[in-house]
This record gives sequence, C-alpha cells and structure tokens, in this order.
Amino acid sequence: MSNESLDPRIRRLDLEHVKNGVQPTNSHWITFEVFHQEKRGRQAIHVGIVHAPSPEIALMFAKEQYARRKSTSNLWVVKSSEVFTFASEDEDIFETTPDKTFREPGFYKVRDRIEAYKNKHS
Amino acid sequence: MYGNTFMTAEEAKQMDQTQDNPQKLIAFEARIERGEKIEPGDWMPVDYRKQLIRMIEQHAHSEIVGALPEGTWITRSPGFKRKLALIAKVQDEIGHGQLLYSACETLGKTREEMLDDLLSGKSKYSNVFNYPAKTWADMAVIGFLVDGAAIVNQVINSKGSYGPYCRALERICFEESFHLKQGHDNFVFLATGTNVQREMVQEALNRWYIPLLHFFGPSDKTSVHSEKLMKWKIKLATNDDMRNQFLDQYVPKIREVGLTLPDEKLKKNLETNKWEFSDPDWDEFYRVVNGDGPCNKERLEVRRFAEEQGRWVRQALVNPQDKYVTPFA
Amino acid sequence: MKNLILKMADDALIIGHRNSEWTGIGPLLEEDIAFSSMSQDKIGHAWALYRILNEELGGEDPDKAAFNRSVKDFTCCHLVEYPIGEFDFSLVRHFLMDKAEFHRYDLLLQSSFLPLVNLAKKVKGEIKYHVMHADTWMQQLANGNEESKARIQSALNLVYPIAFSLFEKQDDEQAVIEQKVFVGEDVLKSIWVDDIANRIKEFGLTIPSSIDSSAHLGGRKGYHTDHLEPLLKEMTEVFAIDPNAEW
Repeated sequence: MSNESLDPRIRRLDLEHVKNGVQPTNSHWITFEVFHQEKRGRQAIHVGIVHAPSPEIALMFAKEQYARRKSTSNLWVVKSSEVFTFASEDEDIFETTPDKTFREPGFYKVRDRIEAYKNKHS
Repeated sequence: MYGNTFMTAEEAKQMDQTQDNPQKLIAFEARIERGEKIEPGDWMPVDYRKQLIRMIEQHAHSEIVGALPEGTWITRSPGFKRKLALIAKVQDEIGHGQLLYSACETLGKTREEMLDDLLSGKSKYSNVFNYPAKTWADMAVIGFLVDGAAIVNQVINSKGSYGPYCRALERICFEESFHLKQGHDNFVFLATGTNVQREMVQEALNRWYIPLLHFFGPSDKTSVHSEKLMKWKIKLATNDDMRNQFLDQYVPKIREVGLTLPDEKLKKNLETNKWEFSDPDWDEFYRVVNGDGPCNKERLEVRRFAEEQGRWVRQALVNPQDKYVTPFA
Repeated sequence: MKNLILKMADDALIIGHRNSEWTGIGPLLEEDIAFSSMSQDKIGHAWALYRILNEELGGEDPDKAAFNRSVKDFTCCHLVEYPIGEFDFSLVRHFLMDKAEFHRYDLLLQSSFLPLVNLAKKVKGEIKYHVMHADTWMQQLANGNEESKARIQSALNLVYPIAFSLFEKQDDEQAVIEQKVFVGEDVLKSIWVDDIANRIKEFGLTIPSSIDSSAHLGGRKGYHTDHLEPLLKEMTEVFAIDPNAEW
C-alpha cells in the first residue's frame, strides 16, 4: 500500500491498485450553459459551461466554478441543446445595423436651427 | 437561417472537410488579421483546430497535474493563513483545468477523450510539474515563480484568436493574480525570516532555476516554429521573448530580498536589452518531455488512481439517454 | 463555555483538514473543487472560533492553538479523525456531520454569548450550502445504480454509529445550559436523529438498526482514535520547524 511519494496524502493511496492500466472513460453527462447574475438588478451573463447529470448538480458545479471568486446573487443553468442561435456565416444580416444612424439620438441635431430661429426673432 | 448550432464531436470533425475552400481560408485569415476572434461555430482550417486542441488540452492537463506538486504540502501548510491560501490556490488550478477542458471541448474533443489521452501518455503537460516539491519553500517558489512564468504565457495567449480560449484565459489570469500575490507573500516571509527559512527558500530557488528556464521551451535558434501558428494567432510570442520577459519581471524581485540564482552568467545585456544566461541542459528537457523526469511516473499514476477510484461515482449518474453535446462557447 | 467553543473549533479544523485532502484527487474535478471549498469554509470556522477564544476568553493565539497543541488537548470527536477513505465514506460523513453543524449553529442563534450568535449568523449560508451539497449527492448516488446504492448504504452503516461522537457531553455542559449559551447536546442530538431519519427514508436507504456508539466516545475528553496523532504530526510538520517564526 505504500509508495515513495513526497506527498503524505499520496502515500496513503493504494496506487498499485490501478497499475494495470485504465479503462477508457465513456460517461457523458448533460452539457449546461451557465449564466451568472452578479447582483440583484443586473443581467444574468453567460460565463461558461458545466457537465452534470442533473440540473441540481449542474447548479452546484456552477456555484463552485463560477461563483467561487465573484459576488453572486444567482446562477442559471440551461441545457446547451436547448440554446438556439444563428449560423455564424449569417452574421452579415446584422452588418448594416450600425449604419442606421437615424436610430441614434446623435442623428437628430436641431440646436443650430433653434439658435438661428432665436437670432432671427429676437 | 435559424438553426441550433450545437455540434457532436463527429459533426465538428466533418465540418472541417470544407477546408480546401480557399475563399473560406482567405476570409478566415482576414478576420484574424482584423483582430477579430474566431468562435466555435466558424469555419476553421483543420490545422488550426488541431493545433488549438493540442495547445489548450496540454494547458488543461498542466493545471490538473500541476495541482499535484503543490498538493504535496496541502496538509502541512503552517498556520491558518497559509493553509487557506494553499488549499484555495490548488483548488483554483483544478478549476482552471475544468475551464480549459470546456474551452477545448468547443473544438470537438470531449473532456473524457482528453483525460484518456493524458492517462495513456498520448498527450503532454508542462514539464515543470514533473519536478518534486521537496520542502515547504517549494510552495513559495512555485506560487511566485512558476505561476509568474505561467502568467507571462497566459497573458500573451489571451490576446490570441480563439474566442473561448481567450475568455477562459482572461478568467484564469484574473484568478492567478491572487496566486502570484500569495506566492510572493510566502516567498518574502521566508526570505526575510529566520536563517532556517531563508536557507530553505534559497535551496528551493536553486533547484527550480533550470526548470523555470525550461518552462518557455527551447530557444528560438533551435526550435521549429510554424509561421501558420503566428499568422493564425495561436502563438503570439517566441519562446525566447517570453523567457526574457519573465526574467525581466522576476529576477529583480528575487534579488531585492537578497536571494540569488545559481548562474554566474545570468545578467541583462544593456545593449541588446536581453538577458544572458548559461544554456540550460536541453537534453534533460527532452528526457523529461519523453517521460523520464523525476516525477512523471508518479503524476500519471496518481491521476490514473483518481480516475479509477472515482469511476463508480461518475458511472452511477450516467443516463444512457444523455447524448454528449459540444459546449456552445 | 470555553470547552464548547474549543470542541467546535477542533471539529471544524480537523474535518476541514481531512476534506482538503480531496483537492486534486477527487472522483471528478468539480467535486475536488466542492470538497475544497467546504474545507476552506470549515477551516475558516475553526479560525473564527479560536479567535473568539483568544479575543474574548483569554485563549491562545489561533495559530498556536491549532498548530502547537498536544493531541491530548484536542477535543474533537472521533468522526472527524478518520482518513478520507473513498468518496462514499467522505460523502456520508459530510452528510451526517453537516446536518449536525447546521442545527448546532441554528440553535446558537439563540445563544446568550454574542460572539457565537454573530458567528452563527455569518456562517448560516455556508452551512446551508454544505447541507444542500450533501443532500443532493446522497439523493443522486442512493438512486444511481446498484453499486452506488450499496456503497452509500454500507458507508452509512459504518459511519452512522461514529457520528454520535459529535454529541458527546462535556463536564461543564450543565453550566453552559444554565447560562443559556447552548441548549445542550441532547437537544441537538434529538433534532439531528429525526432529521437524518427523514432524509435517509427519502433517499430510500435504511438507518442501521442496532447502534452502539460507546466505542466512539472519548474525543471530547482527549481520548482519540489512532488517526489523530499522525494527522496532527503531519499538519504541524512545517510549523514545528520553528513555532515562533512567522510563516
């Protein structure tokens, strides 16, 4: 049961037990996308994924991984297979949005006209 | 088109069969040239996928194997502050492994496949973790300098082209800043402590000097580096540049507390602005890469043991209906 | 009252120390992380309790109390002393112990000793999560497959009697009850027994029928299992190089 490790924890393990090699792993769990809400009132933001056999365990894994260091008010998990997106080659459908300046407040500039009006009528 | 873009590993591989499309390659390279990131659903050249998988996977393995040398002292940390810091730090490394495996999965290789390749020896991890942590002072040297070296590497890589890897690295770098600080704190306490403590940290430093020089890989003069990797922003700095940056940042911090590095030739050439040092034994580097380092055998045996001993837990919760789904991002 | 706080501190330190051993070698990466987090919480509780002893009741410096005390002076219970074993053992111990911790701190919210009330308020959420973690895993593994169910049941048979060591009374307990610092181990034990029985039933497991926990008592008086002395020797190995140095 003993081995030569410098780590006392490892010395307590029966490493001989697995000397004969390892069977390949074939356990697949569900993939969940994780969303993190830093505090009340904020958006939940996508932060990564976990693999878990159930939503309950997925939430615990998400807490351990994504709420270990940052403030958190809540976490969401959503099965990756339930998330729908556009295909990446269709990104061009959004291309002209920034050109539509008539949707931006800065497009509307009437100060000059007001000043001109005032000058004329004062 | 509305679609559900999650992929099975098979589908991800099939996607690459369009690689010969030169127009797609031009568009892909132009995107990288513009400084945009590549995302999992994008077309990418076969070699890009392959090289990224290799790199991210090795990085992930390095995190979980790296937890073992530091774990050596986890039950022996002196005092509450060090005990909590070390547990938290080693825990983060495991967390980083998980994040990196997830990032790599978006390229179409499952975590299980990656772990199997680690255990069979097919896939590598950083050499530095094949060295033993002989004394408590190794925790200071690893926490401060090995993590310091890793951060140099990771900060550079976080400017790379693959979105999921960059995101994982940003999170990792944020967390590692605590590792570095706690390592430095430990290092300074030992260096400025009793004679016994000071000797302990000097001795550890002497042992880690060569593995630290090896950390960034062989010199640019001898190593083959791919133009493609640079062009595709998988690799962003040369080994020598990273090594030089590391020495620039850390040698002064070692010397300011009166400790030394065991190399008389180590000095900065003020004309070239580059550090000069005795060439470390690269044969040793290759021996360790090929499995013949002081701890290679133990590290893999422990990982195999953990996998085997824990198999029943994972298997008990497998539902045959749950099909593997490649993560999204 | 010092005895009550000291044994709570010792329990938390030793179980935290034990569970930190999973960091890097657990059955899956996520559980390495979980056990590690909970062990940090527990060591944090121990630190806070030694600090209360130090600051309010004239006890030693927390580092000295934890890292420089002889095995006879420790008053942890036998339950926390055993090695981590396999995941089934560690999980069942965690389940049984954290239920007790949860109710103990819940009862301490009514304590007449303010520092304990404040600590109980502070750690409430952490321990609630420890219980949630244990319950979720117990539920899943007890209903996983034949092997996992058998393993969890047999770990329960082994650990359940030892868990009664948590409620071993100390000599000054009557005074602690009269001063309304704590309602006493018997009250805690009966709440725990009921709670555990209900959960075990929900999991579809059975509580071992005849229990003799007498062999597991003595920890509160300094009589420990053979596991504690080597644990302390290992834990204090570096600290003992120079207990007066700053580490």
